[in-house]
Amino acid sequence: MPIREFAPQNSSTLRSRSLSALSVSAIAVLALTACAGDDAEADATEAEQASSETEAETTSESAEEGEGAEAEGTEEEDAESGTVTVEDDHGTHEVSTDPQSVIVTDNRSYRTLEEFGVQPSAAPLALMDPETHAYAEDDSILDLGMHREPNLENVVAAEPDLIINGQRFQQYYQDISELAPDATILEFEPQEDADLIEELIRKTESLGEVFSEDEAAAGLVEELETEMARVQEAYDGESTVMGLLTSGGDISYVAPGPNGRAIGPVFDTFDLEPALEQEGEDESHGDDISVEAIATANPDWLLVMDRDARISQEEEGYSPAAEIVEESEALKNVTAVEEGNIVYLPENFYLTEDIQAYTEFFSDFADALEAAE
Amino acid sequence: MPDHRFTPLRGQRGAASGAIPSGVAEPVQPRRSPRRQRLFTPALLIGILITCGLLVLSLTTGQYEVFSEDGFWMFGITRVPRTIALVLAGASMAMCGLIMQLLTQNRFVEPTTTGTTEWAGLGLILVLWLFPGASMLARMGGAVTMAFIGTIIFFLFLQRVTLKSSLIVPIIGIMLGAVVSSFTTYIALMTDHLQTLGIWFAGSFTGVVEGRYELMWLVLVVTVLVFITADQFTVAGLGRDMATNVGLNYTAVLFMGTAMVAVATGVTATVVGVLPFLGLIVPNVVSLFRGDDLRSNLPWVCLVGIATVTVCDLIGRTIRAPFEIPVGLVLGVVGAVVFVGLLLRQRRRGGLVT
Repeated sequence: MPIREFAPQNSSTLRSRSLSALSVSAIAVLALTACAGDDAEADATEAEQASSETEAETTSESAEEGEGAEAEGTEEEDAESGTVTVEDDHGTHEVSTDPQSVIVTDNRSYRTLEEFGVQPSAAPLALMDPETHAYAEDDSILDLGMHREPNLENVVAAEPDLIINGQRFQQYYQDISELAPDATILEFEPQEDADLIEELIRKTESLGEVFSEDEAAAGLVEELETEMARVQEAYDGESTVMGLLTSGGDISYVAPGPNGRAIGPVFDTFDLEPALEQEGEDESHGDDISVEAIATANPDWLLVMDRDARISQEEEGYSPAAEIVEESEALKNVTAVEEGNIVYLPENFYLTEDIQAYTEFFSDFADALEAAE
Repeated sequence: MPDHRFTPLRGQRGAASGAIPSGVAEPVQPRRSPRRQRLFTPALLIGILITCGLLVLSLTTGQYEVFSEDGFWMFGITRVPRTIALVLAGASMAMCGLIMQLLTQNRFVEPTTTGTTEWAGLGLILVLWLFPGASMLARMGGAVTMAFIGTIIFFLFLQRVTLKSSLIVPIIGIMLGAVVSSFTTYIALMTDHLQTLGIWFAGSFTGVVEGRYELMWLVLVVTVLVFITADQFTVAGLGRDMATNVGLNYTAVLFMGTAMVAVATGVTATVVGVLPFLGLIVPNVVSLFRGDDLRSNLPWVCLVGIATVTVCDLIGRTIRAPFEIPVGLVLGVVGAVVFVGLLLRQRRRGGLVT
């Protein structure tokens, strides 16, 4: 394919384009089949989404309640043997409450574990932001590299007995389990059709269980719930909201619902009114959208995730997203821009996406909603 | 050098074309005398009309209701800039392909197969790495500079290669491009700019609105310059020896062509992104139908370039409205098909690898 895509979940590289140009006949086949495949897939998922959406709405709540109850039921602490039984995405595990070597690969868990005082033996340090994660500059932690180019040798070197896997490293679950056959691997990833926030709470509580830090976990959950209640309280149920993602000077649209990156699930959490009723197709990076379409939808609120914010931080007060959205001539008549109803996600959001990040985001959102009243 | 560029050329043209090294794919159509070939033929006028029609279509296609209260205002800040960018990018990238094909005497060369776009990408990433938050102009400067250096390196490399079959030249370019792009990827990876880079290179007109396209006007300068200096490129296209024989300062022309290609590629890469295959298919399609006279082909290359980009962009922005598909993706699909078609056609005539 002649397109260069650096999305972490898509794996074409710079070179693939050039190379494919070499095998001329291959290009056409590749390009055509890839696109045909994409379309067919997209159609299928669209149909699926449409049919499952209503279903999900009615069933997800009860399902989560059931799941939560189940998890609690199995988490019985066995003080004498020093193990707890925890249920993760792959079943139930007996986990030692005093693990000697812990590997953490899950972005959404770093800060929680830091708060619990867990010292990992190995982690993907390249995926951490030094200003957010204390682990990032800890020399005693073996580096597992980036998810695109992991250094899994260090999994062996760390001799782990507990591995908290997840998010970007989910794809290496199999490899890691083969490299560390004796270790317990726990994964708490948001399940399909489940509420992302509920899943974050499940993860936090489960981690609290594993590391005997139930109180700290409960504290985190409580903070999140407090901010959620504030948003719920302040949102009028009518104002239209649109999620945007900015990167490299371009604006993408984040679809409401479980498919929209980071912001999408929030629509369901607070019953936000989407400004544009359109199924998105790109789950992780949003769909290309023109300023005209945003202006036509005329949202009352904009929730903006700025992917470049963290990297451009060196320039004081420089916000690429604000420049793109607020200073856009075409968007100046949009209600959200006119009234300043724009909430930017925490600048490290793209690297964290954890319970703390959502707490901060909801707090900002609640502040903005309250101020606008 | 400019004094005696026309007379000897026109006289020797028929004989000269026979002297093109065998590596060059032969012109498909028999050559008519270019002197009498008028620029503004009825066919060209029809072509202009069709292209204008496409541009009008581009102006009226979009999400915002143009005939509403402030529709005209929106029209001015999104549709007009976008259409101007389409025209400039389409014309200049198609002509870049043409210039590079003449300078390398190879039909399969254009900025994406000579590594020029990869070098532009390296320039972009270097600027962003060393000066985060650099202005659009600074980024563009980096892209243009590196594109220029890269293309010069390509030519220097090419001069040391004795075997210049039609496949070797693009392979060298692709090879160099791959090496450069791996550097770019490494820097991007280390500085967390990988995704930004990917978005730049997707080649999309979605973000081209007032305030974000003005740099594209620079490309117009290149386009005009190409028109002015077209004859020299035609002579250079005969090869270094032949061009020097008829009194052309080959190195100067090479340098000038490289600079033009670098500016056009760098600016387009910064504002729009990569437009794959455009420089490859447009000049080839034009010479398929019209033979190889640069001067009378130039308007055609411009028109076909503009029309191709406009059609691809129109497809990209209507197929999934209100969302858009990057023009580079559409162009890649269309371009690949045309490219294979061209190859098959040449093979049928028995002229691909000689």
